[in-house]
Amino acid sequence: MLDFMENVQNAFYEASHWNVDNSYGALNATARALLDFQTPRGLRLQISSLAASNFATSYTIGSVGFVDGSVSYLYSSLPLRRKFKSVDLDLHHVVRGYRHLQDLRRPDEDWWWEIWHSGKRIDRKDTLLYGRIFLPQSRLEALYLRRLSPTRQLRVSAVSDSNLNNGGTILTLLQNDVGKYSTEYMYSTDSALMGIRGLYNFGRDPRAAPTEPMTAQQVAEPVHGRFSAGAELYYGLLNKSGGISTGLRFTTLPNHTGFPYTMTLTLNPLMGNLSSTYAVKASHNLALCSRFDFNFYSYESELQLGCELWRRRSNTDVEWAVKKLRPDWRRPTVGPDDDVSGILKARVDQDWRIGVLWEGRIKELLFTLGASLDLKKREQVFRAVGIELQYSS
Amino acid sequence: MAFNFNWSPLIADTSRARDMLTTALNKSPKPPIIVDDIIVTELNLGSTPPELEILEIGDLAEDRFRGIFKMQYTGDAFLTLKTKVQANPLNTYLSTKPDFASPQPLAASSGLTIPLQITLSDIRLSGFVILVFSKQKGVTLVFRNDPLESLKVSSTFDSIPFVRDYLQKEIEGQLRVLFMEDLPAIIHRLSLRLWSPEYQELEAETEERLEGSKDTTAPIDPLSAPPQDAVDAFGNPIDASQTSNLSIDSASEMHASFSQKNILRLAALSESQRTLSLFTPSIREAVFRAWATQPDRPDSGAATPALTQSSLSRIQSTFGSTKSNSSSVASGSTGNETYSSRPTLVSQHSAAAGLSLGANRARGHHMRRPKKRVVDLRKNRDGGESSGVSTGANTPSASATVSETASVILEDREKEEELLTPPKSPAMPGLRFESKHGNLDAGEPSRLPQNSESLLPVAPLLADPPKISKSKQRAQAPLQPPEPEKKRSHSSRPPLSRNRLRSTQQATSPLLRSLSFEKVSTLSAHSKLPMSPGSYAESTSSSGGGILETAWMQKMMREVARKVQEEKEREASRDRRPPPPQQPQSLKAQPAGIWAGTEEDMETPPPAYVA
Repeated sequence: MLDFMENVQNAFYEASHWNVDNSYGALNATARALLDFQTPRGLRLQISSLAASNFATSYTIGSVGFVDGSVSYLYSSLPLRRKFKSVDLDLHHVVRGYRHLQDLRRPDEDWWWEIWHSGKRIDRKDTLLYGRIFLPQSRLEALYLRRLSPTRQLRVSAVSDSNLNNGGTILTLLQNDVGKYSTEYMYSTDSALMGIRGLYNFGRDPRAAPTEPMTAQQVAEPVHGRFSAGAELYYGLLNKSGGISTGLRFTTLPNHTGFPYTMTLTLNPLMGNLSSTYAVKASHNLALCSRFDFNFYSYESELQLGCELWRRRSNTDVEWAVKKLRPDWRRPTVGPDDDVSGILKARVDQDWRIGVLWEGRIKELLFTLGASLDLKKREQVFRAVGIELQYSS
Repeated sequence: MAFNFNWSPLIADTSRARDMLTTALNKSPKPPIIVDDIIVTELNLGSTPPELEILEIGDLAEDRFRGIFKMQYTGDAFLTLKTKVQANPLNTYLSTKPDFASPQPLAASSGLTIPLQITLSDIRLSGFVILVFSKQKGVTLVFRNDPLESLKVSSTFDSIPFVRDYLQKEIEGQLRVLFMEDLPAIIHRLSLRLWSPEYQELEAETEERLEGSKDTTAPIDPLSAPPQDAVDAFGNPIDASQTSNLSIDSASEMHASFSQKNILRLAALSESQRTLSLFTPSIREAVFRAWATQPDRPDSGAATPALTQSSLSRIQSTFGSTKSNSSSVASGSTGNETYSSRPTLVSQHSAAAGLSLGANRARGHHMRRPKKRVVDLRKNRDGGESSGVSTGANTPSASATVSETASVILEDREKEEELLTPPKSPAMPGLRFESKHGNLDAGEPSRLPQNSESLLPVAPLLADPPKISKSKQRAQAPLQPPEPEKKRSHSSRPPLSRNRLRSTQQATSPLLRSLSFEKVSTLSAHSKLPMSPGSYAESTSSSGGGILETAWMQKMMREVARKVQEEKEREASRDRRPPPPQQPQSLKAQPAGIWAGTEEDMETPPPAYVA
């Protein structure tokens, strides 16, 4: 389950029309959500609130043998309108699962964002500031996010910790997203790592003028899938080492009539690592994912399977009565996820390492219950067990 | 000063060291590049031993040692490690960084683990080593500085210069940590295994439990520790050479195949008799001459001055290849014309014969002052007492050891524990003896006279008139049943029995006292020839220690003499200080009887231990 602050940041992206998914880094976001989810350790309690629409605070206290905690503040120049109260927030916003990609939208024109007042431009670039301090460790995380233009975003994240080399590290990330393609340039102060990432989407260019008349063929065969290709390249100036990878993705779009699915294939030619994932949203409530890794230098392979299951309370005892209602009867508005009793995520790999996560909402609390198991090690099957509780107002 | 540093046994079996090195290497948090356990596959210490130079000696005793060495090693040792490394630098780099400010690459950081074999050779070491040895606590070895000068790392990636350089750097760093932190721990544990059988057993047990079916222990050679009372079918004693023939291993491998436990037991026994600490293991059906008589202080005090040399040499002879009585006789008579040489002489015979006053006294004295040899040496700095007092106490050690080792035969298994863990009650042997044979009347005249025949020559040595307690103890002494006496003649090893015969003859003749040094030496040469397995075991196990010991003692003596001189000068300037508290105590303890004395002595630990 996403942190409150992550949720707020996502809300900021949404409010500023930034497509998080159109990035090479998010190429296999679905597989990572279904296979690489973190299982909580120990007990963690989070109380947060969006005091104003621009300001959020969050306090975390946790206990994994010892008590630790964190305090975080967030400021957004853009008023955030999403529901953040744990009573009524949309669970899809905080539970990462199968990412159903939407049609690419055309980026805003620059002048759309301009606000002129009596001959002067008074619009300001949207900014997000975020800081978090972890208390016993005295570790500070800071984030500065600025929408430079409708197609450009600057993200500077920093960590200050005395345990790190040079006392901390700063990562600067400049992202461009024009819909058809996106590029990212990054620089990390740690060992002067430089990186570049790019993603290209095949198919129709969303920037094409919508005024163009659609051909008959386009109407007959709506685009129901998208093929994307990307690559990334890193080079550390100080340690003179680098990394490279390329990736392909095919994913279905909402126009697709069958069940949605996503396929990715990533290749690291330097290290000989080939990874393929296949994720399918089998039904409204079920998503399945598999990943197969193979290294053609060391012949090591790995297989992982995962699933996500949304459990809903069955109200069969009143189902028949609901059916009999007149169609124009105003039903009491219920949230789309009100009947969700919980979301089960599970993964297993070929070494019988199992991760289980049970997330949901009880009254006004969001909870995450997780465990990671290792069936191979008989004497210590449970590797980690934990529970996380979140309350936000 | 010289060391006999036996390098070859160290080369022989390195499997244990290998295992320990493996565990030590995996214990500490590994750098992220290493993704698997580090396994030491090969470890060879090479044929060239390190050069050691003694810089300073802090402490020295039978069971303790502390010194600083300068070590230089340019040998041909090599070490082969096997592990798996992460070949992707981005992966290792990112694994140590916080997620928040990480670039979070998609697949560029995917791992590639590569099996890696590293051979470390051409190791050049140079540094200062602090070595602390204690029988109980094992060996502690600490490097004062970073000893690693250079080494050659050859690995699977030698063709790639970047990786090679990186590995060289990483491994040098790790080795520095190993030398400074892990190696002391490994050596300590190894030494504990070596010296403390309990620890050994414990380890073995846990190992067995852990490894289950995997049997790594060498097959136990039943004859590796030859029977100490080797007799053939007819009851005739068997030579050591014959016994060694019986052994599965060849005699040349004896040093390695001797049961550690037996050697230890022997060593502990001889040690305890030499120091006569409270933890003397009780020996069944043995009579200690110490019981027979009351030691007198003036005598032993008088005996001391000239004894240092002889005691030293005797220690050497004890440790030396022979363990014969006569060798110590010879050394004893090097300090001839002195009063004390005679008691030791007599003690040779009496040790075999069973009873003698002189040695008895000496031993009683010895017993009373356990582990104090060095203590007193130090004490002399301020006390100004003759340094010989304490060393004098050790003079009969050789004979005592011999007789004791002889009586090990009679020892049964249950005594083992007492040997290893110091027994609680010092009076144990005496008590047991009494309980076994009922009440002991002071007057048991029937045997007393015939035994005291052998005591007669020594009688004039007694400066003090015998006391009541002494007479009682003496009465105990003759109580030694005749059976063990006979048994011993059978069971004891050839040199002993022969010595006994000879010495008893000599004891009766008054000529013995004027026995010349040459004669004795020839005698010793005679008795040297047949070697008993037991003595062989002990000598092999500790021959190096004997030389060391001697050298140490000599240096110690010089140092003490110097210090005494200094102290005297200092004292002259200062007021006369009251004698150190221990001195009167030991004085007081002496007339109080052996056991009382020992108890009292042990209550207050000697200053050497306190300090």
